[in-house]
Amino acid sequence: MENLSTFSIGGVHPDDRKISRDCPIEVLPLPDKVFVSMAQHLGAPAKPLVVPGDTVKVGQLIAEPGGFISACVHSPVSGTVKSVGLREDLAGNKVTHIEIVVEGDKWEESIDRTPDLVTELPEDKAWILDRIKQNGVVGLGGATFPTHVKLAPPPGKTADFLLINGAECEPYLTSDYRVMMERGAEVLVGAALMQKALDGPRCIIGIEENKPEAIDHLSELLSGLADRNPAYRHIEIRPLKKKYPQGGEKQLIDALTGRQVKSMGLPIDVGAVVQNIGTTLAVYEAVQKNKPLITNVLTVTGDCLPVERQHNYLFRIGVPLSFIMEQAGGVPEGAEKIISGGPMMGKAVARVDATTVKGSSAILYLTGEQTLRRPEGPCIRCGRCADACPMGLEPFLLKKLAEAGDFTALEKNAVHDCIECGCCQYSCPANLSLLDTIRIAKGDMLRIIKSRPKN
Amino acid sequence: MAFVVSPSPHIHAPASTASIMRDVLIALAPATLVSLVFYGWAELLLVAVCICACMLTEWAIERFLQHSPSTIGDCSAAVTGLLLALNLPSSCPWWVAVIGSIFAIGVVKMTFGGLGQNVFNPAIAARVFLLVSFPSIMTDWSAPASISSAWGFSQVDAVSGATPLGVVSEGLRSGMTLDEIFAAHSFSYKEMLFARVGGSAGELSALALLVGFVYLLARKVIKATTTLSIWATIIGISMVFSFINPSSYTDPLFNMLTGGVLLGSIFMATDYVTSPMSNTGCVIYGFGIGLQTMLIRYFGAYPEGMSFAILLMNAFVPLINRFCHQPKFGRAK
Ligand code: SF4
Ligand code: SF4
Repeated sequence: MENLSTFSIGGVHPDDRKISRDCPIEVLPLPDKVFVSMAQHLGAPAKPLVVPGDTVKVGQLIAEPGGFISACVHSPVSGTVKSVGLREDLAGNKVTHIEIVVEGDKWEESIDRTPDLVTELPEDKAWILDRIKQNGVVGLGGATFPTHVKLAPPPGKTADFLLINGAECEPYLTSDYRVMMERGAEVLVGAALMQKALDGPRCIIGIEENKPEAIDHLSELLSGLADRNPAYRHIEIRPLKKKYPQGGEKQLIDALTGRQVKSMGLPIDVGAVVQNIGTTLAVYEAVQKNKPLITNVLTVTGDCLPVERQHNYLFRIGVPLSFIMEQAGGVPEGAEKIISGGPMMGKAVARVDATTVKGSSAILYLTGEQTLRRPEGPCIRCGRCADACPMGLEPFLLKKLAEAGDFTALEKNAVHDCIECGCCQYSCPANLSLLDTIRIAKGDMLRIIKSRPKN
Repeated sequence: MAFVVSPSPHIHAPASTASIMRDVLIALAPATLVSLVFYGWAELLLVAVCICACMLTEWAIERFLQHSPSTIGDCSAAVTGLLLALNLPSSCPWWVAVIGSIFAIGVVKMTFGGLGQNVFNPAIAARVFLLVSFPSIMTDWSAPASISSAWGFSQVDAVSGATPLGVVSEGLRSGMTLDEIFAAHSFSYKEMLFARVGGSAGELSALALLVGFVYLLARKVIKATTTLSIWATIIGISMVFSFINPSSYTDPLFNMLTGGVLLGSIFMATDYVTSPMSNTGCVIYGFGIGLQTMLIRYFGAYPEGMSFAILLMNAFVPLINRFCHQPKFGRAK
């Protein structure tokens, strides 16, 4: 496959390591207890609607949006609410959680639990959006931005492109790949639903070339759907050259449309809406099956994890990480760091009893040799960090400016454009902790920019 | 069990400062081998002295003056040592090599703050320093003689021990035309390409240097920008001048193959620390080096000029870096 498109600046090629790619999705057993976080989406935390002692069913609304940018939260299990209170998330921050003791598996009757594929699209776009909102769908690609907000462009802006992110560019992760292979038709319907909600922009599903099976499989399903229903004739599947961070929103838009989102701009400014594979499946379930976002697929993997203990699990959102880890045979020998997510952008798990959230995509075990930081040396001015930066920044310079606290120069050199992809720090032969420093400076910079009077 | 908790990214690319420096040493291996074959033990001694003296100087300064952990493990001192050795005539006495090494590391590198902080390329600066301090030793290019007949090449200037550039410069000054000089000295391009051009060890074989260049590019240690920019400038200028007056201005091929242009453009001008960060910067920097080199060769007092040109442009790098930046995402148009 020659001449595949990809984003134009920077990027790195970490080793793929998709060890769990051939593990089919398994349904994770039910735990005794779940902890449902109220802060599992971008924006205001949700407000609990239940109190201890309440009985709940699977899919019952248990928390309502706490603001315009917020999302509904539903119970992933049936049982009794035991407590509503603060609990530490995986990074150790205190967040309100609803604790539910699991009793049986009674679902809300309104949810269609049959496996039948529903390909007929509803006519009313407002109805589609409402279903997405009521069922608490958020972006599962990382930022967990409420999906219904993204699908309703602000006045004056229209979507020319609906881009579905099937890049899965982070090493190790395979959940999106499994969903494309096993739930491909539902993903395509989900894409068509969002296309409808956005008044019919071009829809492109971008998949990296290292997943040829997924490209072929989806293409086949798509032509079958398009034969029977004209609504599916305006979806394209586009292979992409493998390069990290292809799945970054701005990078994917660049790769698929050639448009570049301006500094501090939003995708919709260039007429693009990006959703990931997991979200697209969630949209299908929300709209066609009236099923809230209470399950997701998560990869358990790592080089130190024996092959037979690699898994792709369909889990109920709110199951503690420790429960999933036990199901997969416990912490493997040699693991010194546990990551929730991928090795480039995932979060190190400080507390294994923390709970899963809507955006949980993987439990990754890394050995000391893989992950321990090597001693830092002096910057040799090799320029690799700048070559790797997908935003065209100069990380070596940003680090120096951040250490000097020179925010005028930091702003000029666009520290706020950093997408925290980690390419710079990954590439630095002197092992400098570039992103650690840049991340903090970026946070301060954004606060400074926000505090200015608007004109 | 306590697990490590640190911010992303959680993995790291395999390359390290030491692995990059080792790659540079490997890339220099073919040229070093050719020079060992042609100059023999004297050259081996020179290489060993330079590398050891550079590493020792760095170690001693860190140990006794800075009281900081030793950094000789990053191999950058070894690279400086080898480059310096390849820039010296093989007849150079060992103590001159030691002085050069101490100057390179002690003065040019460490006083600026060590690796990454120096403005000038240590090996080049040391070469120029020696050239100015010991002019007769530094220009005694006794051409390889012993093995040449075995390789089937004619013997060139073994007596005078001058480099082609020196011969040409000398000849032009005494009123000869280029054709006469070339005829009188009978050096051919074939000889320059494969070896056997009198000169510093590292200038012996263009081919060996080019092999190193390809290796560095393949391993992505350097980008071709700076080197190509230098070449294009030198070829461009010498093409124009030799076209206008072929009897007093040397042609492009001659200029590319002599006077350390290849060694300098591939291994010294591309030194990370002392070259610009951005591609545009590298083009400007390379143009500057090429221009200076040709100006010195055609109109200056020294027959070559590469070292001076690199050193001069090193000084402009901070300025170039100030004004040349990589293009940022989303800022086109
Ligand atoms: S983390 Fe930021 S600075 Fe580093 S490469 Fe990514 S975008 Fe560039
Ligand atoms: S990659 Fe590291 S050593 Fe190279 S320029 Fe950037 S900060 Fe310096």
